[in-house]
Amino acid sequence: MTETIELALKTLEAQLNQPLETALEACARCGLCAEACHYYRADAKVEHIPAFRAEKLRSVYRYEHDFLSRLFPVWTGAKKLDEPTLASLTEIAFSQCTLCRRCTVNCPLGVDTPLMMRAIRAMATASGAAPEILVMLADSAIEKGKDPSFFKDLFLEQITEMEEQLRDVTGDPTATIPVEKQGAKILYVPLAGAHTILPPAVVFNAAKEDWTLSIFEAANYGVFLADVSRAKQVAKRIVDEASRLGVKEIVIAECGHAYASYRWDVPNWFAGQFDFKVRSLIEVLADYIRDGKIKVDPTAIPEGVTYHDSCNLARNGGLIEEPRYVLKNVVKDFREMTPNRDEAICCGGGGGLVALAEYADRRIAAGKPKAEQIQKTGAKVVVAACENCRLQIGDINEHYNLNVKITAITDLVVRAMRLPKPLPGMEAEHLFEGEEVTVERG
Amino acid sequence: MLIFQLLALAGLLAGLYGIYLRYAQTKRRALPVDKSPLKGNPQHGITYAFTKGMMPWAKESTRLHMIAYLRGIGFHIGIFTALGALLISPFWTLLPSLLSWTLGGVLTLGAILGAAGGLMRLAEHNLRGLSLPDDHFAVWLVTVWMAASAIAVWNEAWMAAYYLLSAITMAYVPLGKIRHCLYFFFSRTFFGKFFGRRAVYPHPEPVVMDAVVLHPVRSTTADERGR
Repeated sequence: MTETIELALKTLEAQLNQPLETALEACARCGLCAEACHYYRADAKVEHIPAFRAEKLRSVYRYEHDFLSRLFPVWTGAKKLDEPTLASLTEIAFSQCTLCRRCTVNCPLGVDTPLMMRAIRAMATASGAAPEILVMLADSAIEKGKDPSFFKDLFLEQITEMEEQLRDVTGDPTATIPVEKQGAKILYVPLAGAHTILPPAVVFNAAKEDWTLSIFEAANYGVFLADVSRAKQVAKRIVDEASRLGVKEIVIAECGHAYASYRWDVPNWFAGQFDFKVRSLIEVLADYIRDGKIKVDPTAIPEGVTYHDSCNLARNGGLIEEPRYVLKNVVKDFREMTPNRDEAICCGGGGGLVALAEYADRRIAAGKPKAEQIQKTGAKVVVAACENCRLQIGDINEHYNLNVKITAITDLVVRAMRLPKPLPGMEAEHLFEGEEVTVERG
Repeated sequence: MLIFQLLALAGLLAGLYGIYLRYAQTKRRALPVDKSPLKGNPQHGITYAFTKGMMPWAKESTRLHMIAYLRGIGFHIGIFTALGALLISPFWTLLPSLLSWTLGGVLTLGAILGAAGGLMRLAEHNLRGLSLPDDHFAVWLVTVWMAASAIAVWNEAWMAAYYLLSAITMAYVPLGKIRHCLYFFFSRTFFGKFFGRRAVYPHPEPVVMDAVVLHPVRSTTADERGR
């Protein structure tokens, strides 16, 4: 047995807890999960059935753990793990499953196939077989956390520029983007890029919120690698920052995996040291609208708008009605996709897939069911509260000629707030019904 | 006959012991304790997982394959009936005729549905691709056992064969795929805990928010879900 295989098996053993063993044992191979998977919906072949994929890991598990399988491996499909099998498992887990859990909710036994795919990802990561780009992104985030001074000056410079833009668009000379504000109530954790900082800053200022901006990004590539050690190190940067500043609450940008991990995993990774409330920016927006902290115009967005449920936010995160509440307060013509909510179809961009260029063709092919769903609504705007979903829907928009605009919820809320000036890059959308285009070009 | 009865009993005990070993092995494994703050209720999630969540209309997959799902449900009702029938088999002659005929009828129906499942596994492309030798063997073994139960209920001459088949079936339970009967309970429990905790299941009540509600959120109707 090679060292790689030994490491992979050791990782499987280490993960083998009650839920994983149950997932490995419970499947009756009834095939009812087939249509639940967007890969199968896009290309109906046996290899795309979740149970078929999971069977690849089960065969390895049986070989190691099942009495009958050791005697008669052919009878139960048991297989000794070797290098080609590990390579095939790795490819399946990283390129043919977005960990959306749609198969789980459609399984009569409730088999958690994504849990098995995570186990494979962990095996691949531990044995050095995981996609390098994900490892690199996770490691660079960890390095960034070790020495923030390396990037902090540049970051603060960018924030100062953004603050000027903020004052300009809001017409409020006192509007700020506080960074490292001691004792603030909220620590807002953005993603990379001004588009996840400026619109929320507009909202926080309008709501007169006591907030501060994190110097780190919410994205956590350790999660995609199913590498708890790396994922913990990435999350620790924000946990430490929140502790240092003494905030009460961590608010996560519109990002599916970041919300799911900080809301549902991080409290377990840092048990005993983590007493922050974690909310998504969407929940905060819903509260502001409900409490009248921000004023929004429901007629500001006249075009047909549909909402894509990110799997990490809705099915895996429980954020189902909150985004709808916000949208129905700012959108005139809201159209549901069918199916939606817990039954929503994955766009194909989850599980770190958008970062893996080598699997782009598969990802876009698997986005076909989502493209068809969007098309059926006839909406001109697709809202997604997750950056990876937005990137994927952007790609399928182009590939399947959907001719839609893709946006975040906060962007629409800011539009509905009727600011004196539009946010940079949103000049055309700033128009209200009946107004003429007067975009100045420099 | 006593020998065959003892054989069946030995098979049953071996099966039960095997299932107990499986249960003990799984229980020995770590059970992660979720310390994240609740949004929903894990208990409600578990209740949902074993009740409403098992209804044929609760999932897209079972709505799409309603007949196949109902066939499976009928097949499993037959299996559990056969198990109960085995336990009371020494007293079958004491059963009132109506009950005896009903028992035979349920077992026959279970066997027919099992045979249909066995044929589907051979004929349907996806099922054939997914199936292992163990899957084919398990479904036909249980089907033949149910058929033998039905015949034996009506005809005492079949009792010896029935007990022999019972011994084989029961002993095989923990060895092959039939042991999913144990993991069904684990799996639905974990499912309910996971989705219940996150307020995904049972479907939460519609969010009613007052104050500046300009477009009140409508209740979550089946139509909105695309059902």
